[in-house]
Amino acid sequence: MATVFQVLIYTTLIAYAAGAVLYLAGSSSATRKGLLAASCLVVIGFISNLMALILRTIMVSRLPLSSSYEFILIFTCITVSFYLIYEFKTGEKGAGGVVLLIAAMLILSVVLMAQGQFGEVTPLMPALKSPWLTVHVLTAATAYACFALTAGLAARQLISNNPDITEENVYKIAGAGFTLLSLSIILGAIWAEQAWGSYWSWDPKEVWALITWIIYAVYLHLYRSSQLKSKTASILLLAGFALVLFTFFGVNYLLPGMHSYAGIMKGAAMKFS
Amino acid sequence: MASEMKTGLVLLILIGVSSALGSIIAPTTFYNLRGFQLLLFLLLLNMTLCVVRTLTGYIKQYNNRGAKQQYYPRKLGILLIHLGFIGILLGATLNVYYGQSTQIAILKGNQLDTADVITSKAPFMLQLDDFRVEFNPDGSPAQYYSDMTVLENGSIKEKGSISVNNPLQYKDIKFYQQDYGYVVKGKYPNDKGKEIEAQLAEGSILEIPGTKRVMKVLQYAPDFDPNRGLNQTTGRADNPRIIFSVSENNQLLEIGAARFNEKIDIDNNTAMYFIGVEPYTVLKVKSDPGLPLTFAGGLMFVWGLALTLLFKPVNVKPKGIMIG
Repeated sequence: MATVFQVLIYTTLIAYAAGAVLYLAGSSSATRKGLLAASCLVVIGFISNLMALILRTIMVSRLPLSSSYEFILIFTCITVSFYLIYEFKTGEKGAGGVVLLIAAMLILSVVLMAQGQFGEVTPLMPALKSPWLTVHVLTAATAYACFALTAGLAARQLISNNPDITEENVYKIAGAGFTLLSLSIILGAIWAEQAWGSYWSWDPKEVWALITWIIYAVYLHLYRSSQLKSKTASILLLAGFALVLFTFFGVNYLLPGMHSYAGIMKGAAMKFS
Repeated sequence: MASEMKTGLVLLILIGVSSALGSIIAPTTFYNLRGFQLLLFLLLLNMTLCVVRTLTGYIKQYNNRGAKQQYYPRKLGILLIHLGFIGILLGATLNVYYGQSTQIAILKGNQLDTADVITSKAPFMLQLDDFRVEFNPDGSPAQYYSDMTVLENGSIKEKGSISVNNPLQYKDIKFYQQDYGYVVKGKYPNDKGKEIEAQLAEGSILEIPGTKRVMKVLQYAPDFDPNRGLNQTTGRADNPRIIFSVSENNQLLEIGAARFNEKIDIDNNTAMYFIGVEPYTVLKVKSDPGLPLTFAGGLMFVWGLALTLLFKPVNVKPKGIMIG
């Protein structure tokens, strides 16, 4: 099963990467055939991404939500599905290049960093055994997917002289992302209160999620009060997504805390009674 | 744009930038700094002003339009989000000033008097009846359970089990599973040659009457692996041993790993035994008078989010009114 899983991951990677190249090339030469092929590749990539997740679910007999690479697979799967819905509803393909590039890079990080864990099935540690795990992680992944899509749209707006993108649409997607991120933080806080007895401990992951939340809050306030130039809005959205990536990668690898799951049963100062 | 909102956004940005620096420079102490807490307090003040002004704006609107006033669920949602945020900040402030939190260890069979660790109106006793670890088939821990009894004036009020993700609450105090450990039970002769029992914590030194040698309990290894020395992995008691050392005049004579009830010769005339282990649990004990307010704030926030997600924005944006 681990081999099939590996094949699915590679298929996803190749389809996303090739799709990204075709989208990026197509946006300059505007060849319709190339763009159609790109859309087909994205659908293929999405299906193999989804199949990889289903296979992993069967392998571990629960939703695959507990390791970094499982999270990335869910994140890319939702991102690409949102992009496909967006393309289908609006007919705009301008953001495809950047969104698919993001998805391909994320899958590449899975291949580079987690290939050795593909076959591993380890039981959940006690702190993760909570119904809050599912909702906390799924809302986070969906929020991140919204932000990835807005980053793609914002990049398109910055690069292109005559963007085909409606700013109101971008605002709505960012708003949905903000709502989901808020929910994810609140659900995480409820869970932390139950597991560790403290709903907010200024853990690096919490701090950087808060910083991400702040930048989108600023964007939404400025946009709704019509204080935002299109270019500034795009830069804010790109910076927001950079923060999303830092909250995920940077904090996991550079600023370990609760979310590295190391400090849960740490030695306590003994005071017997 | 209303000036409150401008100030609020500047405060948010300041909080964001400073907490980013804090997480890199001093992740454990930065957020307790007066300066940082002042920023949070200013935000609370700013948002309170913001909400008050929005509410008075709505009331004015209502008076002007009278019965024709249109009802915008999305505006209510945005108001709730801001009110919720204020609730969360207020609750957190209460916790900073009046909340108490500490960590305690209770040995199996022993009792904790909450009055010793937390000031509360109605202190009570908490007794550890048993501590259990449940294991996965691969030997990794699946769950830790502390079976507790709550007693008041000697009579049993409640029995319950605390595990990770399942705290116990009695009155205004909550208990969380945090850690655990074992003390070792030893049997050795006293100065009259009579055998006595003692509980020995890991790292403790035992001076046995009648010999100059001292015995030190180094570690309880539930699943002893001779190749790992003092870096034993904790786990299921598949091969329990007590790792100990014997020394005389600061000279190390022996390091050993004894089974339960295995005779340990300290010297030619003195012997002792390890007869078992007794678990202790480590709990976090907490009382947070701000928690109901924080929870209500969080709930309002979520309801506000739901309303803004379900209802489209309206295009009426009177000056000085919260955006919606």
